Amino acid sequence: MLELKDVHTYYGNIHALKGISITVNDGEIVTLIGSNGAGKSTTLRTIQGLIRPRSGSIVLDGIALDKVAPHKVAELGVAQSPEGRMIFPRMTVLENLEMGAYARKEKSGFQQDLDRVFSLFPRLKERITQKGGTLSGGEQQMLAMGRALMAHPKILLLDEPSMGLAPILVELIFDTIVAINKEGTTILLVEQNALMALSIANRGYVIQTGEIIMSDSAASLKSNEMVQKAYLGIE
Amino acid sequence: MIKNIRTGLSFGIVAGLMTFLFGGWSVAVLGTLMGVGLGLGLGGRFPRKDPLKIAAAAFPSGLVAAVVLILLSLYQNSNVMDAIGKKPFAEDLALKANLLGFFGTVIFTSLLAALHGLPEKQERFYKMILLAILVVAFPFVDQATSLRWTAQIIFALIFVILGLGLNIVVGYAGLLDLGYAAFFAIGAYTTGILSSPVHSIELNFWLVIWIAAAMAAIWGLFLGAPTLPLRGDYLAIVTLGFGEIVPVLFKNLIDVTIKEPLTCWILPLFRIQTKCIILVEHEDLTLGEKGISPIGRPSLPLLELGEPMGSAYLIKLALMGLALALVVFLLVRSIRSGNKSISSLIGYGVALVGILLVFIPIPLTGVKFIDSLLGVLQPGEFESSRPVTWYFLIIGLILLSIFIISRLRDSRLGRAWMAIREDELAAAQMGIDPVKTKLAAFAMGATFSGFAGAFYAAYIRGIFPSVFDFSASIIILCVVILGGIGNINGVIVGGLVLMMADRLFLPALKDFLSLLLTHTVLPSINDPVVQMAVKDNANPILYRFLLFGLTLVIMMAVRPEGLIPNAQVRAELHAADEEKKG
Repeated sequence: MLELKDVHTYYGNIHALKGISITVNDGEIVTLIGSNGAGKSTTLRTIQGLIRPRSGSIVLDGIALDKVAPHKVAELGVAQSPEGRMIFPRMTVLENLEMGAYARKEKSGFQQDLDRVFSLFPRLKERITQKGGTLSGGEQQMLAMGRALMAHPKILLLDEPSMGLAPILVELIFDTIVAINKEGTTILLVEQNALMALSIANRGYVIQTGEIIMSDSAASLKSNEMVQKAYLGIE
Repeated sequence: MIKNIRTGLSFGIVAGLMTFLFGGWSVAVLGTLMGVGLGLGLGGRFPRKDPLKIAAAAFPSGLVAAVVLILLSLYQNSNVMDAIGKKPFAEDLALKANLLGFFGTVIFTSLLAALHGLPEKQERFYKMILLAILVVAFPFVDQATSLRWTAQIIFALIFVILGLGLNIVVGYAGLLDLGYAAFFAIGAYTTGILSSPVHSIELNFWLVIWIAAAMAAIWGLFLGAPTLPLRGDYLAIVTLGFGEIVPVLFKNLIDVTIKEPLTCWILPLFRIQTKCIILVEHEDLTLGEKGISPIGRPSLPLLELGEPMGSAYLIKLALMGLALALVVFLLVRSIRSGNKSISSLIGYGVALVGILLVFIPIPLTGVKFIDSLLGVLQPGEFESSRPVTWYFLIIGLILLSIFIISRLRDSRLGRAWMAIREDELAAAQMGIDPVKTKLAAFAMGATFSGFAGAFYAAYIRGIFPSVFDFSASIIILCVVILGGIGNINGVIVGGLVLMMADRLFLPALKDFLSLLLTHTVLPSINDPVVQMAVKDNANPILYRFLLFGLTLVIMMAVRPEGLIPNAQVRAELHAADEEKKG
């Protein structure tokens, strides 16, 4: 479905991604793990078109994304729950979700999708008229994910959904990711919480200073000694 | 209870002091207006229950306000008029005026407060009807009472349209524009150039106003384009520059030569001998500081009174009625059904066509008014001696603007504007094209200033570059900020309050002060130099920008969200207070 081939991205002179190649197949959860500053978020931003790769190719279902404007990428079926959530603080929960559906061509399934989001995140339904900015961190994360789902995407990009959340909420969020995936949405998950990410993913990539250093099935990554040492905190 | 009485008291004192400035019949008009304001203000304080109970509860405040008002007004007529050396208002007339003021205050206070007791939809409906009656009645009352406020209110209404347009850019899309008067200037100059005998092009006003709006919109795109990558302060600086450039440009377009590029430059490059075609040579386009004057005025065949009405008029009348009925029908239907996408499009289209039908005289051969398409001096022309016609024209323009803007706000584009204002990056991720959205905001915002500019040019009959300088941009921005950024009602109130203060209150205060000084203080001053200094400096118009600034500073300190705020802005600005309370 989504294929990145030898993608190089720069921030000015800083070489942030040094030839990233990632493949995400239909229906999978693929996770990209790595430490701070490894280039995880940059990878997602590059896919979305917010930064342009200097070389390499990004292909979604046979369509090259690397010269497409960000809003067009959204229309092609890529939705992102971005780092820092980036919800619209002065809009209500419902308005935020409506904005999520902005790029959709067909308007018929809107109510259905709304119900689906509310069944995944019942908390959002309770807060439907509240302003996005007044939600708690966990609720904002739910809103960001719900908003991305409203676009009815082919592939959902999740950037650090566990960041800054209480452990119990982290579990809830990851359960929901699995549920979303079961309903047929392909997911590319970027996480620092490698243990959680690897336990729900099919496959995983390990990124370090802008390079993919390892890729394997999630289970074998989890048992890999080097990954255990560096990312899972197991000596 | 005590709080309500106190509100009534302060309203009464303010309105009563205003009668000092205007005198005469003003007490009746001020009383009615105060009643409306007081009733609106008080109504919201009561729970939505029984209208009669609310009316009874609001009555004492209205009574207090009315009593204070007429006491002050009577004092004005008996003592103050003497002090400023004017003849007091005849006693029987003064009695009538004061009675009217008294009942106006009491009745409107109770009535408007009582409306709050009705269900929300009904409340809004009745308020709209009441407002419509007041708006329609005002110029006639004004004429009957010879207050002569209408001409000044028309200026205020011009700024209301400008504020509404700027509100799209600043309020909805969150793009700070410090050079908005440039579009006002473009609209006005387009009108000036296309309908003035100076250039011997005299197009009909009803055509020119659309051209002016389109020109302003096109220039909105031109300004928008270079600002696209900019945000916040940087954007403001670029718009500031544009706002400075445009008036200077108009000041200097006095010797324009346009050569046809193909024959003058491109073909000679290839050594092909041609005669250079010069399109315009040494044309004085804007007449510099002198300004363009006179400018053609709108005319409506309907205004021709006393002429026998031929069959052509009747056909036109029927067409006008039909078009208007269609627009109203579509408006009502779309409001009722809440269907947004297709009906709104049809609504715009038909409204546009309908209004074109209404306003552009249809040339029928053999009929006299075929000339009115190109003519300037026709019977039925709007004249400055009849401000009522201009008043209704601008009210019509405002209604059209409000209709279009509120539809835009609730449309897909409106949502995109607000998303861009909130978070541009997130908006792009949602599939919103920031380029198109921002350009649309600039273009739509400019369109309304094009309307305002065309109206202004025709109303004043002349345009001068100095009108459109930086201070004009700032005043329009103040209208938006003072009234309530992002809120249509707020901008209307802001425009009215600010411009009425500027054009009506300050001049009246100046006259009042100078008369007062002439009859009291000045004769006792012996030194002629001091006498002159006192006389010259007691002129509040000199301090208008000081007062303006002071008002803004006080507003920002006391009520930063504006007079009638947008709910979102208020929530944001007072989030900290609520946290403290909670």
